Amino acid sequence: MSRFLLPILFAFLFIAESLFVQLFPADLFNNGSIFVPHFLWAAIFFLAIYGSTKSGILYGFVFGLLFDIVYTEIIGIYMFMFPVLTYLFSRVMKALQTNIVIVSLVSLLGIAVLEIGVYEILYLIHRTNMEFSAFATLRLYPTLLLNLVFIIIAAYPLRRRFERYADELRND
Amino acid sequence: MPQFFLNKRLIILLVSIIILVALIGFSLRDRDQLTWPEQFVKDTSGWVQSLVSRPAHYVAGFFENLQDLQNTYQENEVLKKRLDNLARLEAEVHALNKDNEELRETLDVQGSLRSYEPTQAIVIARNPDRWHELLVINKGQANGIESDMAVITSKGLIGKVKNTTPFTATVQLLSSLDPKNRVSAVIQGEKNLFGTISGYDEEEGLLLLKGIPFDAEVKEEQVVETSGLGGVFPEGLQIGKVERVVPDEFGLNQTAYVKPEANFYDIKHVMVVERGMTQPPEGELTEGAEEEEL
Repeated sequence: MSRFLLPILFAFLFIAESLFVQLFPADLFNNGSIFVPHFLWAAIFFLAIYGSTKSGILYGFVFGLLFDIVYTEIIGIYMFMFPVLTYLFSRVMKALQTNIVIVSLVSLLGIAVLEIGVYEILYLIHRTNMEFSAFATLRLYPTLLLNLVFIIIAAYPLRRRFERYADELRND
Repeated sequence: MPQFFLNKRLIILLVSIIILVALIGFSLRDRDQLTWPEQFVKDTSGWVQSLVSRPAHYVAGFFENLQDLQNTYQENEVLKKRLDNLARLEAEVHALNKDNEELRETLDVQGSLRSYEPTQAIVIARNPDRWHELLVINKGQANGIESDMAVITSKGLIGKVKNTTPFTATVQLLSSLDPKNRVSAVIQGEKNLFGTISGYDEEEGLLLLKGIPFDAEVKEEQVVETSGLGGVFPEGLQIGKVERVVPDEFGLNQTAYVKPEANFYDIKHVMVVERGMTQPPEGELTEGAEEEEL
């Protein structure tokens, strides 16, 4: 049973992101700001830190590809960004303490880099013509705020779940 | 620096960047249909998503209903006043419809650009990253949906079908920034003005209607509808109202900012519209005819 728990958890987060965008009132503060949920990547990063880096990168690749096919129809962007950022920031974590507060802050930094990276790629292929300053105020800050709330709520349960997963891996 | 190139991680990174560029290039090129692995993945995830999204919408709907209850009394007052007008309007529309049919019969005109066949569908997913404004609906090729069909809500046009799989379809909203996303539209007035909707102002939430003649007089609040002249959409689907008009960058045309009638965020039920009048095969079109995307 516990073998299927992880894929189900990530599949749930994958669907939850889309549901969140559908149900969340779009004009919450009435200034056109866009809240982008990145719950999936936050969870993948926690898996890489508390579970195992290898499976974190693997899940990042699989769900990045899924994200591209199902949601964006431009294959490659998230498939590339998820595993690369997971690898990069798990290396960063090696230099830091694995304290839950620090892990949360680094994952938030990772989300910022993810959002900026996707913006730069889309700007390169002319899928957006937003200026960077507009991007920062309309998308980046609201997105970070939203994901901070998610990480505060989910950090502790995610850590417990993934630590148990790491134990199982060791016992196998 | 032989060591530099032997670094395994660096090579993996370089190879994956090459694959990234190749894949992006592959998905950006003009393709009529998705490849079968993509279709399979989309159908599978669409099935799961429709299982989850319905109960979620019911729960969310319940809370919305509770909120609605608070305003019920005031709404009722307003609606009562409108209702008196409605009966009169209905009778008038009925008479006009009948008139129209009779006149058409006498003139022996068959079909019109206005006729269409709607298919109901439910939104089961939305792109969370909001760069590409895409929706996934629960009807696909099996229900006769084809790409480039118009998609409307009860308020007006919201977009077109981008891709289809056997059981789902992807809808591209008018607000997404894709140069291929163009709709031929008409500003209703004493003299109809034609242009194309292409582009969206993200900061203000307004659609851009381009290609209006420079000497045309456009007033605020004029109604914008699809013209049906692009050959794909039917005529008379409501798009929005003119907010303001500015001359375009070269001063040869004018661009109107159109406030969309439909809400691009809160979308649950949509209708996919199949044009009643078929498009003539491409060979029959004269060479001089203007080619348009939509």
